[in-house]
Amino acid sequence: MEFSFSSKYPFTSEAKQKVEGSSLELNDEMMERAVQRVVTALKGKAEAPLEHGDERGTPYHIHPSDELLELGSYAAARMMLAHLRNRFLINKFAVAEAKRASSFMGKDSEENLRKLGDELGINPQEFEGKLALPVYQYASFSPRSIDYRLIFRNVKNGFVEVTRHEVIRLMEEAVKGKMESYKPLQNPPQIIRDYSQKLMVLVPKETVLKMSFKEGDNPPCIEKLLEGAKAHQNLNHQARLVLAIYLLARNVPVEKVQAIFSNLPDYEDRKTKYQLDHIIKRGYSMPSCATMLSYGLCVADCRIGSPIRWKGKVEPWKKGKGSSS
Amino acid sequence: MEERERQFVLKEFSGYYRHAKVEVPSVEQREFGIGGFDRKIEARHMAFESDAALQNYLIHDTPVYISHSVAYYKFPKATPMENKGWMGGDLIFDLDVHGGLFLSKEEQEKVRHDAIRLVEDFLLLDFGVKKEHIRTVFSGNRGYHIHVKDPAYRMLEGDARREISDYISGKGLDYTKFFSDPNEDKWKRYGPKESDWGYRGRFCRTAAKVLEEDPASIHRRLKKPEEAALLREGMRTGLWSKTSISDIVERMNVVAKGMPVQCIDVDTGVTIDTKRLIRVPNTLHGSTGLIAKELKSLDNFEPYRDAMAFGNEPAKIEALQEIPAQEFLSSTMEKMQNGEKRDAPLPYAMYLILKGAAKLS
Repeated sequence: MEFSFSSKYPFTSEAKQKVEGSSLELNDEMMERAVQRVVTALKGKAEAPLEHGDERGTPYHIHPSDELLELGSYAAARMMLAHLRNRFLINKFAVAEAKRASSFMGKDSEENLRKLGDELGINPQEFEGKLALPVYQYASFSPRSIDYRLIFRNVKNGFVEVTRHEVIRLMEEAVKGKMESYKPLQNPPQIIRDYSQKLMVLVPKETVLKMSFKEGDNPPCIEKLLEGAKAHQNLNHQARLVLAIYLLARNVPVEKVQAIFSNLPDYEDRKTKYQLDHIIKRGYSMPSCATMLSYGLCVADCRIGSPIRWKGKVEPWKKGKGSSS
Repeated sequence: MEERERQFVLKEFSGYYRHAKVEVPSVEQREFGIGGFDRKIEARHMAFESDAALQNYLIHDTPVYISHSVAYYKFPKATPMENKGWMGGDLIFDLDVHGGLFLSKEEQEKVRHDAIRLVEDFLLLDFGVKKEHIRTVFSGNRGYHIHVKDPAYRMLEGDARREISDYISGKGLDYTKFFSDPNEDKWKRYGPKESDWGYRGRFCRTAAKVLEEDPASIHRRLKKPEEAALLREGMRTGLWSKTSISDIVERMNVVAKGMPVQCIDVDTGVTIDTKRLIRVPNTLHGSTGLIAKELKSLDNFEPYRDAMAFGNEPAKIEALQEIPAQEFLSSTMEKMQNGEKRDAPLPYAMYLILKGAAKLS
């Protein structure tokens, strides 16, 4: 028996309807599994669905009652996160679940991908014989990386040319976005409160981001990246590289840079250390403002040539206007 | 500005609004902000239930500036902003040119041509926006506001709007990114094709034109027809390494420099701000007395001729600075010395008073 659409994509309305239409109730088994799901996300992995028989065997065989447990545990995990309102956990969970969904999308049927696309608001279609996405959908979900910048893409008549792989990448972003938004949970059931407490015991103490910088010490582009790190947002490759080069160039100790990166939802200790060492060893220099612009990371018109030349003042021409002239 | 001038301006503005037709699509869902002589926005979080209510306000409580939100709100009057219930917003482009007391003819033409290219090359061709969803408006001062009301673009957030704005202004455009990485296979450099969409196609078509008109500006070897033919073939197929010029990608810099794509000066800040207030079309600009006029066509529009709000009856003014001679109302307004008094047509007198260059005499 193959994975059902709902098991692969538990955030869809179909999955929600299945849970609501069943007599499923929150119980300890489901809550244990929900906790496990979040804890696995914290380790930078996505939780594989429950399997029959051995622990990690493939292919998966899911009994219908397990499917409901699977969906229920997802819903319970979301309820705990909505109750805890912990940005770090929420973003970690969002990244893990988005990656999990994406791993299924690559192998999934066109029909299922279309169904999922409808749910996420991503509708690839053929335009002039090419696979394409409407510009507004592309701009809404494209990852903030140079490869996806609209300016380097083929755009015509409201469409952007894309590959199937890119569509899946955009869908992953859309899932992540969906996972990051929560409605506040009023009066959660006692079992959710209890297990949320249990969950927090298992969560490593959050690294508090302390910078020796004062506000205005860094140019707006770097401030934005630091804010992103503080808010546990997932920065793209170029953004991380730039931030690391900048901080190291400002003589921030490696351990401290690493601590800043540990705020990112997909942080991996060893990988980050290796990459920071690599930057130091290779002596990477700070990208110029023009390069920052082409990375899509420039957010102001400071006119300083390179972020490293920031002298700590915002020029009057950059201050916002209430209304345009 | 003295009280006398202020009263004069407000009386004339009110007179204009008695006859003007001011319409805001979905007026009841917009937030409004008004400005006085000192600031363009002095109060906001205002709302009008109909165009008639707005017009009534303009006639009786005449503001110096009035702007409406690009956004549609459930509760436009609510504060703070989070309580308004954002329901999306028009996509707005603000094109400006900086100049002195008056815009020179060249400045006027540059910004007008940019606005035409923005609409025709980018909004219609690349973004597929339908003509009926585009509202083109003279800003009333130094440029144009382009309102895109296409529902498809309405729900875009700031970051997505920035991508579109950067695309149009060519920000961060590095043509070498159109080519494959030489480290992958230096013998086979793949690049844009003429049939490509967007900037890639634009780049390639410009390159083809340069190759035809001035091949030596790329490389002197291209003067040979057989070498030029190889490059021409590359542009058609996308395989640029067929030519014997090994640094052909770098050589294309001359094409990139000549590509007229990076001159559209869009104010990104306006486009990405989904809660922005933008001048209400067909109202008056408080710094010029010109109409922020909605235009059926940008062809032949001249702000100092076609955006007049008042009749040409004379007003007595005194120059507060030297005022250069200027084309206004299809005739030449003569130079004025500081302190010089003269009868001037009302629109011109209003313009100078609001710019602080003259007072009533």
